[in-house]
Amino acid sequence: MPSWRIAAAVAARDLRIEARTREALLAMGFYAVLVMVIFSFAFAGDASLTGLAGGGLLWVALLFAALVALDRSFSREAAESSWTGLLISPAPRVAVLAGKFASSFVLLLGLEALLVPLFAVLFNAPRSANWGGIAVTVLLGSWALAANGTYFAAMSAHARQRGLLLPLLLLPVSIPAVLAMVEATQAYLAGGGMANYWLRILAGYNVIFTALGAMLADAVLEAE
Amino acid sequence: MSGAAKSRWFAGAAAATLALLLIALYWALIGAPTEATMGTIQRIFYYHVPAAFSAWVAFGLNAAASAWYLARRSPKADALAVAGAEVGLAFLSVNLISGPIWAHPVWGVWWVWDARLTLTLAMWVMYASYLILRQLTPPGSLQPRLAAALSMFFAADIPIDYMAIRWWRTQHPAPVLFGGPDSGLAPRMLVALLWSLAAFLALAGLLMWMRYRQALAQDELTRRRQQQLLAQEA
Repeated sequence: MPSWRIAAAVAARDLRIEARTREALLAMGFYAVLVMVIFSFAFAGDASLTGLAGGGLLWVALLFAALVALDRSFSREAAESSWTGLLISPAPRVAVLAGKFASSFVLLLGLEALLVPLFAVLFNAPRSANWGGIAVTVLLGSWALAANGTYFAAMSAHARQRGLLLPLLLLPVSIPAVLAMVEATQAYLAGGGMANYWLRILAGYNVIFTALGAMLADAVLEAE
Repeated sequence: MSGAAKSRWFAGAAAATLALLLIALYWALIGAPTEATMGTIQRIFYYHVPAAFSAWVAFGLNAAASAWYLARRSPKADALAVAGAEVGLAFLSVNLISGPIWAHPVWGVWWVWDARLTLTLAMWVMYASYLILRQLTPPGSLQPRLAAALSMFFAADIPIDYMAIRWWRTQHPAPVLFGGPDSGLAPRMLVALLWSLAAFLALAGLLMWMRYRQALAQDELTRRRQQQLLAQEA
Protein backbone atom coordinates (compact mmCIF):
# COMPACT_ATOMS: atom_id res chain seq x y z
CA MET A 1 0.00 0.00 0.00
CA PRO A 2 1.49 3.42 -0.87
CA SER A 3 2.46 5.61 2.07
CA TRP A 4 -0.07 8.30 1.32
CA ARG A 5 -2.89 5.75 1.55
CA ILE A 6 -1.62 4.55 4.92
CA ALA A 7 -1.50 8.15 6.12
CA ALA A 8 -4.99 8.74 4.78
CA ALA A 9 -6.24 5.58 6.49
CA VAL A 10 -4.77 6.64 9.86
CA ALA A 11 -6.21 10.13 9.49
CA ALA A 12 -9.63 8.82 8.38
CA ARG A 13 -9.72 6.44 11.34
CA ASP A 14 -8.91 9.28 13.78
CA LEU A 15 -11.52 11.56 12.25
CA ARG A 16 -14.12 8.78 12.21
CA ILE A 17 -13.58 8.16 15.93
CA GLU A 18 -13.80 11.90 16.50
CA ALA A 19 -17.00 12.21 14.45
CA ARG A 20 -18.60 9.44 16.52
CA THR A 21 -17.47 10.54 19.97
CA ARG A 22 -16.82 14.28 19.46
CA GLU A 23 -14.62 14.06 22.57
CA ALA A 24 -11.70 16.18 21.47
CA LEU A 25 -13.74 18.80 19.62
CA LEU A 26 -16.07 19.28 22.60
CA ALA A 27 -13.27 19.32 25.15
CA MET A 28 -10.99 21.67 23.22
CA GLY A 29 -13.80 23.88 22.00
CA PHE A 30 -15.18 24.33 25.49
CA TYR A 31 -11.69 24.91 26.84
CA ALA A 32 -10.91 27.59 24.25
CA VAL A 33 -14.25 29.32 24.87
CA LEU A 34 -13.52 29.36 28.61
CA VAL A 35 -10.11 30.91 28.03
CA MET A 36 -11.70 33.60 25.86
CA VAL A 37 -14.43 34.32 28.39
CA ILE A 38 -11.84 34.75 31.13
CA PHE A 39 -9.90 37.11 28.88
CA SER A 40 -13.07 39.09 28.22
CA PHE A 41 -13.53 39.49 31.96
CA ALA A 42 -9.99 40.79 32.23
CA PHE A 43 -10.37 43.20 29.33
CA ALA A 44 -14.09 43.95 29.58
CA GLY A 45 -14.45 43.72 25.80
CA ASP A 46 -12.66 47.01 25.28
CA ALA A 47 -12.28 47.33 21.51
CA SER A 48 -9.04 49.34 21.76
CA LEU A 49 -7.44 46.43 23.66
CA THR A 50 -8.37 44.05 20.87
CA GLY A 51 -6.25 46.19 18.59
CA LEU A 52 -3.32 45.94 21.03
CA ALA A 53 -3.52 42.38 22.29
CA GLY A 54 -6.12 40.56 20.17
CA GLY A 55 -3.58 38.37 18.36
CA GLY A 56 -2.20 37.16 21.65
CA LEU A 57 -5.65 36.44 23.10
CA LEU A 58 -6.73 34.40 20.09
CA TRP A 59 -3.54 32.33 19.96
CA VAL A 60 -3.36 31.60 23.67
CA ALA A 61 -6.86 30.12 23.42
CA LEU A 62 -5.98 28.14 20.27
CA LEU A 63 -2.67 26.94 21.73
CA PHE A 64 -4.35 25.53 24.82
CA ALA A 65 -7.04 23.94 22.69
CA ALA A 66 -4.41 22.34 20.44
CA LEU A 67 -2.66 20.86 23.48
CA VAL A 68 -5.91 19.30 24.63
CA ALA A 69 -6.59 17.87 21.15
CA LEU A 70 -3.12 16.40 20.74
CA ASP A 71 -3.22 14.84 24.16
CA ARG A 72 -6.60 13.26 23.37
CA SER A 73 -5.39 12.02 20.00
CA PHE A 74 -2.52 10.12 21.60
CA SER A 75 -4.20 8.96 24.79
CA ARG A 76 -6.70 7.16 22.53
CA GLU A 77 -3.77 5.27 21.04
CA ALA A 78 -2.78 3.99 24.46
CA ALA A 79 -6.06 2.09 24.75
CA GLU A 80 -5.70 -1.54 23.71
CA SER A 81 -2.09 -0.89 22.68
CA SER A 82 -3.22 0.56 19.39
CA TRP A 83 -0.06 2.69 19.16
CA THR A 84 2.23 -0.31 19.57
CA GLY A 85 0.13 -2.05 16.91
CA LEU A 86 0.72 0.81 14.49
CA LEU A 87 4.44 0.85 15.22
CA ILE A 88 5.04 -2.88 14.76
CA SER A 89 2.97 -2.94 11.56
CA PRO A 90 5.00 -2.79 8.33
CA ALA A 91 3.64 0.72 7.62
CA PRO A 92 6.38 3.35 7.24
CA ARG A 93 6.65 5.43 10.40
CA VAL A 94 6.49 8.66 8.46
CA ALA A 95 3.12 7.62 7.03
CA VAL A 96 1.70 6.93 10.50
CA LEU A 97 2.98 10.26 11.74
CA ALA A 98 1.61 12.05 8.66
CA GLY A 99 -1.79 10.49 9.31
CA LYS A 100 -1.81 11.63 12.92
CA PHE A 101 -0.74 15.09 11.76
CA ALA A 102 -3.50 15.30 9.16
CA SER A 103 -6.25 14.40 11.63
CA SER A 104 -4.99 16.93 14.21
CA PHE A 105 -4.69 19.60 11.52
CA VAL A 106 -8.25 19.07 10.28
CA LEU A 107 -9.56 19.05 13.84
CA LEU A 108 -7.76 22.31 14.64
CA LEU A 109 -9.13 23.95 11.50
CA GLY A 110 -12.65 22.85 12.44
CA LEU A 111 -12.23 24.36 15.87
CA GLU A 112 -10.86 27.61 14.46
CA ALA A 113 -13.81 27.94 12.09
CA LEU A 114 -15.92 28.21 15.25
CA LEU A 115 -13.53 30.17 17.45
CA VAL A 116 -12.35 32.96 15.18
CA PRO A 117 -15.90 34.32 14.60
CA LEU A 118 -16.57 33.96 18.32
CA PHE A 119 -13.39 35.88 19.04
CA ALA A 120 -14.44 38.63 16.62
CA VAL A 121 -17.78 38.97 18.43
CA LEU A 122 -16.53 38.75 22.05
CA PHE A 123 -13.69 41.18 21.54
CA ASN A 124 -15.38 43.59 19.13
CA ALA A 125 -12.77 43.06 16.44
CA PRO A 126 -12.76 45.89 13.92
CA ARG A 127 -14.60 45.12 10.67
CA SER A 128 -11.80 46.85 8.79
CA ALA A 129 -9.41 44.04 9.82
CA ASN A 130 -7.92 41.96 7.03
CA TRP A 131 -9.89 38.73 7.63
CA GLY A 132 -8.44 36.99 4.58
CA GLY A 133 -4.98 37.55 6.02
CA ILE A 134 -6.10 36.26 9.41
CA ALA A 135 -7.48 33.13 7.73
CA VAL A 136 -4.10 32.47 6.07
CA THR A 137 -2.32 33.05 9.39
CA VAL A 138 -4.66 30.64 11.14
CA LEU A 139 -4.06 28.05 8.42
CA LEU A 140 -0.25 28.32 8.64
CA GLY A 141 -0.29 28.59 12.43
CA SER A 142 -2.42 25.47 12.79
CA TRP A 143 -0.05 23.64 10.48
CA ALA A 144 2.87 24.57 12.75
CA LEU A 145 1.04 23.53 15.92
CA ALA A 146 -0.26 20.29 14.41
CA ALA A 147 3.09 19.28 12.87
CA ASN A 148 5.26 19.95 15.92
CA GLY A 149 2.50 18.89 18.26
CA THR A 150 2.10 15.50 16.58
CA TYR A 151 5.83 14.94 16.65
CA PHE A 152 6.21 15.84 20.32
CA ALA A 153 3.07 14.01 21.36
CA ALA A 154 4.51 10.89 19.70
CA MET A 155 7.74 11.59 21.56
CA SER A 156 6.06 11.95 24.93
CA ALA A 157 3.81 8.93 24.31
CA HIS A 158 6.52 6.78 25.92
CA ALA A 159 7.10 9.00 28.92
CA ARG A 160 5.74 9.01 32.39
CA GLN A 161 3.52 12.11 32.79
CA ARG A 162 2.66 12.26 29.09
CA GLY A 163 0.20 15.12 29.47
CA LEU A 164 2.76 17.16 31.39
CA LEU A 165 5.60 16.60 28.97
CA LEU A 166 3.80 17.61 25.77
CA PRO A 167 3.46 21.35 26.50
CA LEU A 168 6.95 21.45 27.97
CA LEU A 169 8.38 20.15 24.70
CA LEU A 170 6.04 21.86 22.26
CA LEU A 171 6.04 25.43 23.55
CA PRO A 172 9.79 26.20 23.69
CA VAL A 173 10.45 24.92 20.16
CA SER A 174 7.37 26.74 18.87
CA ILE A 175 8.47 30.17 20.15
CA PRO A 176 9.31 31.62 16.71
CA ALA A 177 6.10 30.21 15.21
CA VAL A 178 3.97 31.55 18.07
CA LEU A 179 5.66 34.94 17.79
CA ALA A 180 4.94 35.00 14.05
CA MET A 181 1.29 33.90 14.47
CA VAL A 182 0.60 36.49 17.13
CA GLU A 183 2.36 39.33 15.32
CA ALA A 184 0.78 38.52 11.95
CA THR A 185 -2.71 38.31 13.46
CA GLN A 186 -2.08 41.54 15.33
CA ALA A 187 -0.94 43.28 12.17
CA TYR A 188 -3.95 42.01 10.19
CA LEU A 189 -6.33 43.15 12.94
CA ALA A 190 -4.87 46.61 12.44
CA GLY A 191 -5.25 46.27 8.67
CA GLY A 192 -1.92 44.88 7.39
CA GLY A 193 1.46 46.44 8.12
CA MET A 194 4.30 44.00 8.73
CA ALA A 195 2.09 40.93 8.43
CA ASN A 196 3.75 39.67 5.23
CA TYR A 197 7.12 39.37 6.91
CA TRP A 198 5.64 37.31 9.76
CA LEU A 199 3.75 35.06 7.35
CA ARG A 200 7.01 34.34 5.54
CA ILE A 201 8.71 33.41 8.83
CA LEU A 202 5.78 31.15 9.65
CA ALA A 203 5.81 29.49 6.22
CA GLY A 204 9.57 28.94 6.42
CA TYR A 205 9.20 27.52 9.91
CA ASN A 206 6.53 25.11 8.68
CA VAL A 207 8.66 23.85 5.80
CA ILE A 208 11.75 23.33 7.99
CA PHE A 209 10.01 21.69 10.92
CA THR A 210 7.71 19.49 8.88
CA ALA A 211 10.73 18.20 6.94
CA LEU A 212 12.71 17.72 10.14
CA GLY A 213 9.86 15.86 11.81
CA ALA A 214 9.57 13.55 8.79
CA MET A 215 13.34 12.97 8.71
CA LEU A 216 13.51 12.14 12.41
CA ALA A 217 10.29 10.10 12.48
CA ASP A 218 12.13 6.78 12.65
CA ALA A 219 14.28 7.96 15.53
CA VAL A 220 11.24 8.75 17.64
CA LEU A 221 8.77 6.10 16.57
CA GLU A 222 10.48 2.83 17.38
CA ALA A 223 8.44 0.25 19.20
CA GLU A 224 10.13 -0.55 22.49
CA MET B 1 44.59 5.78 28.95
CA SER B 2 44.60 4.01 32.31
CA GLY B 3 42.42 5.17 35.17
CA ALA B 4 45.37 6.54 37.11
CA ALA B 5 46.70 8.50 34.12
CA LYS B 6 43.23 9.92 33.52
CA SER B 7 43.05 11.03 37.14
CA ARG B 8 46.44 12.75 36.86
CA TRP B 9 45.34 14.57 33.70
CA PHE B 10 42.13 15.57 35.40
CA ALA B 11 43.94 16.90 38.49
CA GLY B 12 46.26 18.91 36.23
CA ALA B 13 43.33 20.35 34.26
CA ALA B 14 41.51 21.22 37.47
CA ALA B 15 44.56 23.03 38.87
CA ALA B 16 45.02 24.96 35.61
CA THR B 17 41.34 25.95 35.62
CA LEU B 18 41.57 27.17 39.19
CA ALA B 19 44.63 29.27 38.31
CA LEU B 20 42.82 30.74 35.28
CA LEU B 21 39.77 31.57 37.41
CA LEU B 22 41.96 33.40 39.94
CA ILE B 23 43.74 35.38 37.22
CA ALA B 24 40.37 36.24 35.63
CA LEU B 25 39.01 37.36 39.00
CA TYR B 26 42.04 39.61 39.54
CA TRP B 27 41.64 41.19 36.10
CA ALA B 28 37.87 41.61 36.44
CA LEU B 29 38.08 43.29 39.88
CA ILE B 30 41.43 45.09 39.86
CA GLY B 31 43.26 44.84 36.53
CA ALA B 32 40.53 46.32 34.33
CA PRO B 33 39.86 50.07 34.55
CA THR B 34 36.50 51.27 35.90
CA GLU B 35 34.13 52.10 33.07
CA ALA B 36 33.51 55.84 32.66
CA THR B 37 29.69 56.08 32.61
CA MET B 38 28.46 52.85 34.22
CA GLY B 39 31.04 52.64 36.99
CA THR B 40 31.93 49.51 38.91
CA ILE B 41 28.78 47.61 37.96
CA GLN B 42 30.20 47.24 34.44
CA ARG B 43 32.70 44.70 35.85
CA ILE B 44 29.92 42.11 35.83
CA PHE B 45 30.48 42.10 32.06
CA TYR B 46 33.62 39.97 32.57
CA TYR B 47 31.45 37.14 33.94
CA HIS B 48 28.28 37.84 31.98
CA VAL B 49 29.75 37.56 28.47
CA PRO B 50 32.09 34.58 29.03
CA ALA B 51 29.23 32.67 30.71
CA ALA B 52 27.05 33.11 27.61
CA PHE B 53 29.91 32.22 25.30
CA SER B 54 30.70 29.03 27.25
CA ALA B 55 27.02 28.09 27.23
CA TRP B 56 26.88 28.39 23.44
CA VAL B 57 29.99 26.23 23.11
CA ALA B 58 28.41 23.61 25.40
CA PHE B 59 25.12 23.68 23.46
CA GLY B 60 27.08 23.38 20.22
CA LEU B 61 28.73 20.29 21.65
CA ASN B 62 25.30 18.96 22.61
CA ALA B 63 24.04 19.42 19.03
CA ALA B 64 27.11 17.80 17.47
CA ALA B 65 27.00 14.88 19.92
CA SER B 66 23.26 14.42 19.29
CA ALA B 67 23.79 14.25 15.52
CA TRP B 68 26.60 11.76 16.16
CA TYR B 69 24.28 9.72 18.36
CA LEU B 70 21.51 9.60 15.75
CA ALA B 71 24.02 8.47 13.12
CA ARG B 72 25.93 5.89 15.20
CA ARG B 73 23.91 5.20 18.37
CA SER B 74 27.12 5.47 20.40
CA PRO B 75 26.71 5.69 24.21
CA LYS B 76 29.74 8.00 24.27
CA ALA B 77 27.90 10.47 22.04
CA ASP B 78 24.94 10.41 24.40
CA ALA B 79 27.17 10.99 27.43
CA LEU B 80 28.69 14.02 25.67
CA ALA B 81 25.22 15.33 24.80
CA VAL B 82 24.09 15.17 28.43
CA ALA B 83 27.28 16.89 29.57
CA GLY B 84 26.85 19.67 27.00
CA ALA B 85 23.21 20.32 27.86
CA GLU B 86 23.64 20.34 31.64
CA VAL B 87 26.78 22.46 31.72
CA GLY B 88 25.41 24.79 29.05
CA LEU B 89 22.24 25.35 31.04
CA ALA B 90 24.24 26.11 34.19
CA PHE B 91 26.39 28.70 32.37
CA LEU B 92 23.39 30.23 30.63
CA SER B 93 21.79 30.60 34.08
CA VAL B 94 24.84 32.55 35.25
CA ASN B 95 24.42 34.78 32.20
CA LEU B 96 20.68 35.26 32.78
CA ILE B 97 21.14 36.07 36.48
CA SER B 98 24.10 38.42 36.07
CA GLY B 99 22.33 40.33 33.27
CA PRO B 100 19.48 41.82 35.34
CA ILE B 101 21.88 42.66 38.19
CA TRP B 102 23.71 44.87 35.68
CA ALA B 103 20.60 46.10 33.89
CA HIS B 104 18.77 47.40 36.96
CA PRO B 105 21.18 50.27 37.76
CA VAL B 106 22.14 50.90 34.11
CA TRP B 107 18.84 50.59 32.24
CA GLY B 108 16.60 51.27 35.25
CA VAL B 109 14.73 47.98 34.78
CA TRP B 110 15.58 44.37 35.57
CA TRP B 111 14.40 42.95 32.29
CA VAL B 112 13.34 44.13 28.84
CA TRP B 113 11.97 42.03 26.00
CA ASP B 114 14.87 42.86 23.78
CA ALA B 115 16.08 40.55 21.01
CA ARG B 116 19.12 39.10 22.75
CA LEU B 117 17.45 38.71 26.14
CA THR B 118 14.44 37.04 24.62
CA LEU B 119 16.56 34.66 22.57
CA THR B 120 18.66 33.76 25.62
CA LEU B 121 15.55 33.10 27.66
CA ALA B 122 14.13 31.01 24.81
CA MET B 123 17.32 28.93 24.71
CA TRP B 124 17.25 28.49 28.46
CA VAL B 125 13.66 27.23 28.29
CA MET B 126 14.56 24.86 25.44
CA TYR B 127 17.46 23.18 27.18
CA ALA B 128 15.51 23.02 30.41
CA SER B 129 12.80 21.12 28.52
CA TYR B 130 15.54 18.85 27.12
CA LEU B 131 16.64 17.92 30.65
CA ILE B 132 13.02 17.43 31.76
CA LEU B 133 12.49 15.06 28.81
CA ARG B 134 15.50 13.07 29.98
CA GLN B 135 14.07 12.99 33.50
CA LEU B 136 10.67 11.74 32.42
CA THR B 137 11.57 9.12 29.83
CA PRO B 138 12.70 5.68 30.99
CA PRO B 139 16.43 4.99 30.65
CA GLY B 140 17.59 2.56 27.98
CA SER B 141 17.83 3.10 24.26
CA LEU B 142 14.70 5.25 24.06
CA GLN B 143 15.84 8.19 26.19
CA PRO B 144 19.01 9.08 24.27
CA ARG B 145 17.17 8.74 20.97
CA LEU B 146 14.35 11.10 21.92
CA ALA B 147 16.78 13.55 23.48
CA ALA B 148 18.99 13.56 20.38
CA ALA B 149 15.97 14.18 18.13
CA LEU B 150 14.88 17.07 20.37
CA SER B 151 18.36 18.55 20.19
CA MET B 152 18.14 18.50 16.38
CA PHE B 153 14.89 20.47 16.65
CA PHE B 154 16.70 23.06 18.78
CA ALA B 155 19.50 23.34 16.24
CA ALA B 156 16.94 24.19 13.56
CA ASP B 157 14.94 26.40 15.90
CA ILE B 158 17.62 28.74 17.24
CA PRO B 159 18.44 30.47 13.90
CA ILE B 160 14.73 31.04 13.15
CA ASP B 161 14.24 32.27 16.70
CA TYR B 162 17.12 34.65 16.20
CA MET B 163 15.63 36.13 13.01
CA ALA B 164 12.10 36.38 14.37
CA ILE B 165 13.11 37.92 17.68
CA ARG B 166 15.59 40.34 16.16
CA TRP B 167 12.81 41.59 13.92
CA TRP B 168 10.58 41.90 16.96
CA ARG B 169 12.81 43.86 19.39
CA THR B 170 16.31 45.27 19.81
CA GLN B 171 17.67 47.11 22.88
CA HIS B 172 20.68 45.15 24.15
CA PRO B 173 24.03 46.96 23.78
CA ALA B 174 25.59 46.07 20.42
CA PRO B 175 28.38 43.51 20.67
CA VAL B 176 31.58 45.30 21.68
CA LEU B 177 33.76 42.80 19.83
CA PHE B 178 33.52 42.56 16.04
CA GLY B 179 30.53 44.90 16.32
CA GLY B 180 31.49 47.48 13.71
CA PRO B 181 33.82 50.49 13.52
CA ASP B 182 32.49 52.31 16.62
CA SER B 183 32.61 49.33 18.92
CA GLY B 184 35.63 48.23 20.85
CA LEU B 185 37.05 47.86 24.33
CA ALA B 186 39.85 49.67 26.11
CA PRO B 187 42.95 47.43 25.79
CA ARG B 188 43.03 46.54 29.51
CA MET B 189 39.33 45.70 29.42
CA LEU B 190 39.98 43.40 26.49
CA VAL B 191 42.75 41.65 28.44
CA ALA B 192 40.37 41.12 31.37
CA LEU B 193 37.67 39.80 29.04
CA LEU B 194 40.04 37.37 27.32
CA TRP B 195 41.31 35.98 30.64
CA SER B 196 37.72 35.55 31.77
CA LEU B 197 36.80 33.86 28.52
CA ALA B 198 39.71 31.43 28.87
CA ALA B 199 38.81 30.72 32.51
CA PHE B 200 35.12 30.14 31.83
CA LEU B 201 35.80 27.91 28.84
CA ALA B 202 38.26 25.90 30.91
CA LEU B 203 35.74 25.56 33.72
CA ALA B 204 32.98 24.52 31.31
CA GLY B 205 35.32 22.01 29.68
CA LEU B 206 36.33 20.58 33.05
CA LEU B 207 32.73 20.23 34.22
CA MET B 208 31.70 18.59 30.94
CA TRP B 209 34.60 16.18 31.20
CA MET B 210 33.48 15.23 34.74
CA ARG B 211 29.88 14.81 33.67
CA TYR B 212 30.88 12.81 30.60
CA ARG B 213 32.92 10.36 32.67
CA GLN B 214 30.17 10.14 35.25
CA ALA B 215 27.56 9.35 32.57
CA LEU B 216 29.75 6.64 31.06
CA ALA B 217 30.41 5.17 34.51
CA GLN B 218 26.67 5.15 35.16
CA ASP B 219 26.10 3.24 31.89
CA GLU B 220 28.78 0.74 32.83
CA LEU B 221 27.32 0.27 36.29
CA THR B 222 23.84 -0.39 34.89
CA ARG B 223 25.26 -2.90 32.41
CA ARG B 224 27.19 -4.78 35.09
CA ARG B 225 24.18 -4.90 37.39
CA GLN B 226 22.12 -6.40 34.58
CA GLN B 227 24.83 -8.99 33.87
CA GLN B 228 24.98 -9.86 37.55
CA LEU B 229 21.22 -10.32 37.69
CA LEU B 230 21.31 -12.53 34.59
CA ALA B 231 24.13 -14.59 36.12
CA GLN B 232 22.08 -15.11 39.27
CA GLU B 233 19.11 -16.25 37.21
CA ALA B 234 21.23 -18.85 35.42
